[in-house]
Amino acid sequence: MRRYLTAAKRYWLVILALLAVVWGAGLAGAYHEYANTYESQATIWVLRASPELTSSNPEDPGTPVIQTVASQQTELFTQLLQSDGFIRDVVERTLQRSTLERAANETKFLADVRKHFSVETLGTNMLRVSYTTSDPRTPVEMVNAAIAVRTERVLHARVTSTAAVGTLYRSEFDAAQTQALDAARELDAFKSSHPETLTATDEAHQAQLQLAVDFAQARLSELRGRADRSAVAAAVLEMSGLEFEVVDEPRQQTTPSGGGRAAVLLALVSLAAGALLVALLVFVGALLADHVAGPLDVGRLAPARLFATVPRVAVGSGAGGSELRPALAAIAFDDGDPSSLTG
Amino acid sequence: MSATLVHSFDGIASRIDATGARSVGFTSTLAGEGTSTIALGTALALAELRQEKVLLVDANWIHPSLTSDARRESAPGLADYLARKAELATVVRSAERSRLDFLPVGDRDAARPTLRGLASLLANDVTHFQTVLIDLPPVLTGEMYVLPWATLLDHLFVVLREAATPLPLVRQALGKIGLATPEIILNRTAAATPELATSLVAAHRRLA
Repeated sequence: MRRYLTAAKRYWLVILALLAVVWGAGLAGAYHEYANTYESQATIWVLRASPELTSSNPEDPGTPVIQTVASQQTELFTQLLQSDGFIRDVVERTLQRSTLERAANETKFLADVRKHFSVETLGTNMLRVSYTTSDPRTPVEMVNAAIAVRTERVLHARVTSTAAVGTLYRSEFDAAQTQALDAARELDAFKSSHPETLTATDEAHQAQLQLAVDFAQARLSELRGRADRSAVAAAVLEMSGLEFEVVDEPRQQTTPSGGGRAAVLLALVSLAAGALLVALLVFVGALLADHVAGPLDVGRLAPARLFATVPRVAVGSGAGGSELRPALAAIAFDDGDPSSLTG
Repeated sequence: MSATLVHSFDGIASRIDATGARSVGFTSTLAGEGTSTIALGTALALAELRQEKVLLVDANWIHPSLTSDARRESAPGLADYLARKAELATVVRSAERSRLDFLPVGDRDAARPTLRGLASLLANDVTHFQTVLIDLPPVLTGEMYVLPWATLLDHLFVVLREAATPLPLVRQALGKIGLATPEIILNRTAAATPELATSLVAAHRRLA
């Protein structure tokens, strides 16, 4: 520990400068983040679970996944935000539309917008949608546009599915109606062809024809009921506003908000990075300092003993072994007479 | 200037001379400690001090810088001798002016230093040299090229660079060498304090 303290004392000026730069930059960045961030948020109340959003385990569709209505809607919102089409629709409803049109890379721009959105569940029936940026006016527009686009998308999906079901029921109803008419026609034909007393076989045949007519009419009435219900469902969709109601509308903030968490994170990261760099500096400094400082220091290598010292020798303009050895080699090997080589 | 350079190694040369050692090796912990420079400078200083021929052997299989300095990269040398491809007398270069005989490393792929081969070299083939200096690679990167010499040499010095070589690595290198009392040569010391031995050598020269 003492060697680390010694190293820290030796490099105290460097440590001070390092901390000033890293911590200063980090804290300045954190303050900038805090002071220039505006957030608008909408709190949404969800009444009941939407049947369209009934979730299942993708690994095993038979296994139901327990979800609250708020988490269902949060998941839907989050998934919608992942699509460029949804974000584009949102942006086109705001003043950012001109920026989107001018953007050289639309995908990058949309990804940047996506990062500013946040959807979180507040409880079983509440969720919050927020948008954070450096401009106080944009968040309100973005949150309102996102809610509107989401509602439109869901409504459109419901109407489309309802229309498809209605069409299916109608075609089935037509087929069933034809079957019922055919069955009734066959029964009438049988009755008219057998006016006298029926034999046992004829009675059985007539009963079968009557049964087919009854089944066809029952099927017909059932399909009629289903088709009616699907048609009525479209009208019931008007009540869907009750399922997804914005309790707190987003408001334009006049003072910075929403940047506290990012600012604290930035400050903590810079503090940790500064401390880490200082620790690294002290560690490397202590490692480098752990060498033989002079002849007296050789005692630290006991039982090794100092045999001799060789002073630093200056040769030419430099000073060091790299210049000394060639000079010595010139003395040792440059006899200039090849005949002097015995080998 | 030349004499000044060589005299920088008078201190270490006189200490080696005082011990009466015949075979001396120089190694280090890491590359760049100045081992080859010290081996070369000490060889020159010893040749002048003892007034006899000194054999300098480049046994650095990893980075044979002395062989490069002598421009003997393609010449046969120690490795060829150990591989029995050449006689020692044919691979030693003799420089009359500096009284320094030099054995380059040779073809390093031909052979590696083995205890038996080196023992034969020191006991039989270099007996006519009163002083043999070996430049060895760093212990941590060339352990296999250093350890065979460690038990055969009169002295094996570990060269450290002042205020540079990390102590944990030095301890690791000393542990690998396994000598009871390893001997350190501290290179590039800041204070070039005139040592007693250097003064004695200077006095000896004056008398000579």
